[in-house]
Amino acid sequence: MAPLLEAISIGKTYPGGTIANDGVNLTIEAGEVHAVVGENGAGKSTLMKILFGIEQPDRGEIRLDGKPVSFANPRDAIDHGVGMVFQHFSLVPSFSVYENVVLGSEPRNGIKFDRNEAIDRVRALSEKFRLAVDPLPPVGELPVGQQQRVEILKALYRDARILILDEPTAVLAPQEVEELFVAVRALVAQGRTVIFIAHKLPEVLEISDRITVMRGGKTVGSVNARDVTEQSLATMMVGREIALRVDRAKGRGELACEVKALKLEAENGVTVAADLNLKVHSGEILGLVGVEGNGQAELLEAIAGLRPIADGVVYLNGTSLAPKSVLERRGLGLASIPEDRIARGLATGATIAENLIATRLADKRFVRNGLLDLKAIKANALALIERFSIRSGGPGYAVGTLSGGNMQKVVVARELSEQPKLLLVNQPTRGVDLGATQFIWKSLTDARDGGAAVLLSSADLSELLALSDRLVVFYRGKIVAAFVNSDDLTAETLGTYMLGLSSQDPEIMRAALQ
Amino acid sequence: MSSTSPSRWAMIGRETGRALTAVVIALAVALVVILLTSADPGAAFQTLLTAPLSSNRTMGLWIDDVAKLTLTGLAFSLVFQARQFSMGVQGQVYMGGLFAALIAMSPIGATPLAIPVAMLAAMCAGAVYGFIPGYAKARFGASEIVSSLMLNYIAILVVNYLIRAHLAPAGTGQLMTAKFPDTAIFPAIVPGTRFDLGIVIALIATFVVWFLLYRTSWGLKLRLVGHNPKFAEYSGIRSSFVMVSAMTVAGAFGGLLGSVFVQGRAFGNLAQNFDGNLAFEGILIAIVARSRPLAVPFVALAYGYLRQGAQLMGIRTDVPTEMISVVQAIIILLVASSFSLPGKKFIAGLFGKKPTPAATPEVAK
Repeated sequence: MAPLLEAISIGKTYPGGTIANDGVNLTIEAGEVHAVVGENGAGKSTLMKILFGIEQPDRGEIRLDGKPVSFANPRDAIDHGVGMVFQHFSLVPSFSVYENVVLGSEPRNGIKFDRNEAIDRVRALSEKFRLAVDPLPPVGELPVGQQQRVEILKALYRDARILILDEPTAVLAPQEVEELFVAVRALVAQGRTVIFIAHKLPEVLEISDRITVMRGGKTVGSVNARDVTEQSLATMMVGREIALRVDRAKGRGELACEVKALKLEAENGVTVAADLNLKVHSGEILGLVGVEGNGQAELLEAIAGLRPIADGVVYLNGTSLAPKSVLERRGLGLASIPEDRIARGLATGATIAENLIATRLADKRFVRNGLLDLKAIKANALALIERFSIRSGGPGYAVGTLSGGNMQKVVVARELSEQPKLLLVNQPTRGVDLGATQFIWKSLTDARDGGAAVLLSSADLSELLALSDRLVVFYRGKIVAAFVNSDDLTAETLGTYMLGLSSQDPEIMRAALQ
Repeated sequence: MSSTSPSRWAMIGRETGRALTAVVIALAVALVVILLTSADPGAAFQTLLTAPLSSNRTMGLWIDDVAKLTLTGLAFSLVFQARQFSMGVQGQVYMGGLFAALIAMSPIGATPLAIPVAMLAAMCAGAVYGFIPGYAKARFGASEIVSSLMLNYIAILVVNYLIRAHLAPAGTGQLMTAKFPDTAIFPAIVPGTRFDLGIVIALIATFVVWFLLYRTSWGLKLRLVGHNPKFAEYSGIRSSFVMVSAMTVAGAFGGLLGSVFVQGRAFGNLAQNFDGNLAFEGILIAIVARSRPLAVPFVALAYGYLRQGAQLMGIRTDVPTEMISVVQAIIILLVASSFSLPGKKFIAGLFGKKPTPAATPEVAK
């Protein structure tokens, strides 16, 4: 019998010459969970866009049930039973769950939208596939995990036989990941097929039956999930041995930064974080754990000087930061790797050299009497490009021409070009491939060993567990738990605190906060 | 820094190609308009294409336009690079023209200091006029598009009123002042034409703006604010200062254009509505030049040629003058629409829409 879905020697070159797919083969059997893994730029997204009709291949053939098909657009793909859930949801926040699910193919009663019918159908679908979600509330009020279920229901409502999930776990807490996996298994049990694009190898090994590995626009091979280990998969992905292990701090130094009774408000006056107390010592990494939107990012912004402090104090080596400008804080030894490199961390239209000195325009080495020293700026760029192995055309190229990983390296290079005293880091490796991740982790631990106190926030718990010496958990703008990192500490333990399911004894927390 | 980029020539080639395509399409449209309205389309079209070169005098007209278009293009380029959409060049031109005229008609006007002092006064007046919308934006969040446009009307009407009621020679009913003393009027480079000091000023201004933008830290800050204001804030750049100062400096160049207008050989006095809306065409120049100061004179050269050709066609042939404006508008439309990025953002900005963030070329995961 022919496989359910086959992609045969797919080639796709984007205008501008980027070869995204170069002879890609993918075979999906009915009723399996098939993971597609690979580094950023390996061509996974392009392949999925081709399977969903968003992009057209230049070469190659797609076969569905053994018959050649071509999807001119997503509508075509949906009509053939292919559904896709993107990383960034396309939902109408003010519409209710059932309205979102049926939007575009509403059940009708005459010319009227039959709401009861819609609600019944959505309810039936959610029970059948174990995607528990109440059809009535507006989608905007639901947590991310449930919004994702709405997206999956949308595809199922349109009778998707094959469901493509693009990095579905990236936005989820560990418990939510478990629930998603339950749903995925239910889908497969009812005869649906799931294609699972992923980054995190442990999850891939847990959920999938078969795994196709992509690298540099080609398929490296397909393996059975039970035949491989995390290490062998990682080696297939990057084409060489890699070690995603980091050395712990050798011992911490003096108290560097102290946050006392800090309260932060959003622009509309709503409290986003309150009663934050923590200490970071030089030579240690303090991990800020929490589902996004629970106050970690706001804390980092406030320390960096990008958000006003409503109440409380932040000290850096004894100096109160509140009255200091961003530049003065940087002068005190603060460096910051922001959450979103494109929105905040870089000027993508400016050159690499300009981005690398943007934070140091008061520095005599680069600016004298208001004039730029172009030679020094270029030399600085060349040195940092070399030291941080940034792959680029040269210092004069716009940052926007770089890949995500290399853009992030530009940010890291700028912030770590001088040893900081306090380093704020948010999502250092989001959307960054394994090779660059390894490099960035090393840079962070080098800064730590050089005496920096590091505050690290990340949506990736394995990253936090790998790097942090201590961890504090944020829930609804408060610190609800604190841990000294050890091999016994698991993502699941952290997860129960992240979701507010358990609370820590105040004494234990105080001890770990010191 | 772009001067170090190896891809620079490729970029220049690409941009020039786009501009030329737009010009060719515009000429095709102009041809259609001419065919529809002229009894002798061949002669009319030939006039459009060759008239500016027909004599020293017409070449002078062309170069005079190039100087003025360059200056307004530079003023717009400065604010556009900081991603401010101040439309205030016209108002600055009027204020600059007024103050240059006041100096020229004062006792200083008869001395050798007349030209430099009048230019300086014009630049100060323009700077103040550019500062106002910048400050209003930084301090009160007033949209610089709206406030600068309103300030334009105020400047034009105030200057027109002053000319009619106070500055024109009494009892003549003229809507312009008397000629300035010769010492206050730019010397001609080619005698008997409008080829005067203006083009020299424009070229010096081009160099100055380029130097400010690409060789000073103020210019780098300005461009970083323009590229990404959130990044500038994060880097510790005081973006409101940069914004206000960019609009003020651009205002000084707008004011300078005012002085070039009234002290140039084209006028030599202050007349009502003297700018003929040329100040606004700087928007087009800046968009096509991608706000790159060194590209501005070249764009002005090409655009000024078409502009002068169209005007001469209106004078010398039977193509109705209204159609000249239509052809000019079509040229602006085509050229502007073929320049996607700054053009689209600019237009989106005009209508208060948020420009769609440039798609990040994340080709594949």
